[in-house]
Amino acid sequence: MTTTYTTLSFELNDAIGHLQLSQPPSNEMTLDFFSELAQITNEMRSMSEMKALVISGKGRHFSSGAKLAELIPLAMVGKSGTAALSGNEIENFLDRNNRSFLFFENLEIPVISAIRGVCLGSALEIALFSHFRFCGEDAVFGLPETTFHLIPGIGGISRITSLSGVANALEIILRGNTFPADDALKMNIVDLIVPKREVVQRAIEFVKNLPADYRKEKSRLYLQRYKNEMYCSS
Amino acid sequence: MSTWINKDYFNWSVREEIGILSLNNTPENYFETPEFIPLDLLKNFIGTDQLKGMVICGVGRHFSAGAKLDSLYELSADADVLKTKMGRGQDLLSYIENLDIPVIAAIRGICFGGGLELALASHIRICSTNALFAFPEISHGMMPGLGGTWRSLQLSRFPDVLKMILSGDIVNAEEALEMNLVDKITTADPIEEAFLLLKKMTIDKPLKVIHSVMQAMRNSKTLPPDEALKEETRLFCELAADVAKRRNSGSAAGNE
Repeated sequence: MTTTYTTLSFELNDAIGHLQLSQPPSNEMTLDFFSELAQITNEMRSMSEMKALVISGKGRHFSSGAKLAELIPLAMVGKSGTAALSGNEIENFLDRNNRSFLFFENLEIPVISAIRGVCLGSALEIALFSHFRFCGEDAVFGLPETTFHLIPGIGGISRITSLSGVANALEIILRGNTFPADDALKMNIVDLIVPKREVVQRAIEFVKNLPADYRKEKSRLYLQRYKNEMYCSS
Repeated sequence: MSTWINKDYFNWSVREEIGILSLNNTPENYFETPEFIPLDLLKNFIGTDQLKGMVICGVGRHFSAGAKLDSLYELSADADVLKTKMGRGQDLLSYIENLDIPVIAAIRGICFGGGLELALASHIRICSTNALFAFPEISHGMMPGLGGTWRSLQLSRFPDVLKMILSGDIVNAEEALEMNLVDKITTADPIEEAFLLLKKMTIDKPLKVIHSVMQAMRNSKTLPPDEALKEETRLFCELAADVAKRRNSGSAAGNE
């Protein structure tokens, strides 16, 4: 890898890619982050040696989500006649982010988000586009966009609705409140709660043991097998 | 034709931007006809008041025992009449399901047949600990006819739905929660709980934000995945432009 990244880090060890959101403490998703994310997904296209991808946040948190203060000005239409700041700017920006998220979702290798601490807004959206989600017992989730009079805009609404059902999704999105790991598990938003210090390690262990003919359509089956093994070995 | 539907069969009230539709045909709140409230009337109620949410509930001890068999047999005498009436009932439930505001069914006591189908067309179901659910149609040689089969399969596992519809067995609140047929059980009054939850979900939120969320959620079920995502982004951008505009004019009037 030749590119130097400042808002994220990427390592490929033992065929496992590890993408870290890397602007601690909150790993806020800045405009720079989203450009670097698009860049790294491009680089990943040629990494045929990568057999699985783990996404996590550096330090105590996954991420607090997009930086609203940067995002809103992008939406200012016709501000003092500047044609460059058209309504399309934010749309293009979001489309690109959406493409990055879809890239993860469409990968044919397993993609897992390993979540510690806060995972809010667009950070939860990126996790929802992963094939699996493991979290620590301290994890906190939420889609707070509507409290700022916005909505999740990078596919979060559609993905959380299919995972947790209309009733849960509606309450999460419209209330905009945060909820703990237990609730996320009950609502099918995370797949497994593990001790917080082991989240990344457990995610790596899990993807390493997935079969070579991995297919994301079988994700439920793989999880069930993994849970059975855990149960038998404990 | 629908003028015979008496308003005595339901109550309508509005409390702090939340509409409350109560089935009122006590004690069991039977539907005298599948279109238990004229669709145009409901549209009228919701449209004129700029509501942010709706609670559907039953007056008294029960939600609803569904269609009244006597009136159903009467309608069945003419196949076309029955088909038309059922079609109107379907339209009413689809209208409720596709509303751009959240709808919560608050369920006490019996919630059977058409009553359950109405609850399933709502977005969230809150019930009391004594609530009972069933599709009793099978014991009269019939099956759910207002989308109950399809909608319960969206929420519950195939074997559970099959058993419930073919056996006609009554399912209690705990079992219904287990099956995902209801979302919450409360020891308090479910109508009050539903109202409070809708307040929490909608308070201080512009109607446009609520409509956008509902629309995006509906898209995720009705549009092809790529289009649903595109629409979500488009809706976000519209709202972001509004926020930007407000901030702009706010800062122009303010300190900078």
